[in-house]
Amino acid sequence: MAYTKPIPPQGQHTKPFWEGAKAGKLMLPRCRDCNRVHWYPRLICPFCHSTNLEWIEASGKGRLHTFAVQHRAFGGWAEEVPYVTAYIDLDEGDRMMTVLRGVDPTKPEEIKIGARVEVEFEQANDDTSIPFWRVVEQAGE
Amino acid sequence: MGAANLSNAAAIVGAAESDVIGYPEDLTGHKVTSLQHHIQAIKNVSVQTGVPISEIQGIFSAGWSGELAEHLGVTPRYLDTTSVGGCSFQIHVHHALAAIHAGIIDIALVSHGEAGWSYRGGGGGGGGGRGQISPGAEMTAAYGTFGAPSQYAHAMVRHFHQFGTSQEDFAHISVVTRDWAQLNPRAVMYGKKQSPFGGPITVQDVLDARIIAWPLTLYHCCLVSDHGGAVIVARPEVARSLRTNPVWVTGAGESMGHQNILEMEDFTATSASRSSATAYKMAGLGPQDMEMAMIYDSFTITAGITAEMLGLAPRGKGYTLWKDGHAAPGGRLPINTNGGGLSFNHSGMYGMQLLVEAYRQLSRTAEDGVNGIEGKQTQATTCVVNGTGGTLSTTGTLVLTSDDR
Repeated sequence: MAYTKPIPPQGQHTKPFWEGAKAGKLMLPRCRDCNRVHWYPRLICPFCHSTNLEWIEASGKGRLHTFAVQHRAFGGWAEEVPYVTAYIDLDEGDRMMTVLRGVDPTKPEEIKIGARVEVEFEQANDDTSIPFWRVVEQAGE
Repeated sequence: MGAANLSNAAAIVGAAESDVIGYPEDLTGHKVTSLQHHIQAIKNVSVQTGVPISEIQGIFSAGWSGELAEHLGVTPRYLDTTSVGGCSFQIHVHHALAAIHAGIIDIALVSHGEAGWSYRGGGGGGGGGRGQISPGAEMTAAYGTFGAPSQYAHAMVRHFHQFGTSQEDFAHISVVTRDWAQLNPRAVMYGKKQSPFGGPITVQDVLDARIIAWPLTLYHCCLVSDHGGAVIVARPEVARSLRTNPVWVTGAGESMGHQNILEMEDFTATSASRSSATAYKMAGLGPQDMEMAMIYDSFTITAGITAEMLGLAPRGKGYTLWKDGHAAPGGRLPINTNGGGLSFNHSGMYGMQLLVEAYRQLSRTAEDGVNGIEGKQTQATTCVVNGTGGTLSTTGTLVLTSDDR
């Protein structure tokens, strides 16, 4: 089935991220000077202002930081309401946005902040695979 | 009268350009983007002068200042993104001179990046050449968020988690703000005559309204309406000569946390803590001295969080000002006395409505029969006004005082 939701235009310094996604790998930018991972990808380290940056393959694991349930949407997403948008704290550091899978959007009170999540990729077209995150384990009480 | 003497109040201490200018392609054969030109030039001038990027206090650019601050990971206390064509940069230096002379900042960055050749044809000379989407937008565009409520809902869920709050707690903000709208005949939600949704509402009404983005129901969200407003600011000699009552700008501050909410470190805290600290310090007053407040209420969560950031309530307890009746007509700390963005008027950028109502209250003209009926005029002599822009991103705070204080 054709992918009907928005497909981001790809930038230039972000190419390694999209190449990795096509191969099912989550690639993150890291500063060689201060060793910290940042997201979204920068031209300069937002922590120490070094331009000595590299790409690393991440674990693809993280925790749910916060979420919302979207009841109003447009385009391809309109057909999927309600769905859960979320922010993920990456195990490597910093935070990524996503649409969360493995949860029931009609029972938001059952979705737990801190739940363990893992990345998966959906192919949108020949050039673009988009990362989505799935809850794999609820947060410890 | 006349301008303060700004002569020699500041100096340009370094100047640099991006790595490849003219007709550039990078090593992989790609065009260089406007953002790359900016960042390279900023890095180069930092190296040249020895001024660390982290010590830049003011950012001046033609439309880029928010994006640049976020990309650099800095939170400037002076933002100017004046964009009036090719002379913008001379004007930026003028504005930086004034800001430095005023003692607001010591170090200003003026930056330019324009891939005019690489991205030619994309809007023409002078304004075009931006080149490609911002990387923050690129990495969030896929995920089905549409407009402000879809994003602000994430902040409310995080507030629930950190402070044990609920939809009901924030619903009190909608109810009390609607009560104020009953005292303002120009409010969109003044009554049933103005709107089928107008007139008083209850907490249950807020909870039962249709969901926009859980946990935000319709009544947790501001209006979308038309508005125009203007204020005039003048030096004291002029203010004293006019027939209107002056309201004094006793304190002012600004800051930003991020541009894209992806970059918001704590979803329950905005840069209003910094902008208000600056404003209070300038005023020599603190939150305990504020007798009313005009707080940007794009959503109930915005108002609740901002009350905390302004020091009007403890962390996690902003909503109690409304729930316990303090913010209501007759309360000890009236808030959003025009009926707010929630029930008076919200055009998209609501900051002007805040200013107009703060002026009316402190100039004792809030109950003129047109913009207010009996019960709307407060006795407040001090008012903290805070605007929030973007997605809980930028903030500006004013401490205003009445002439009869």
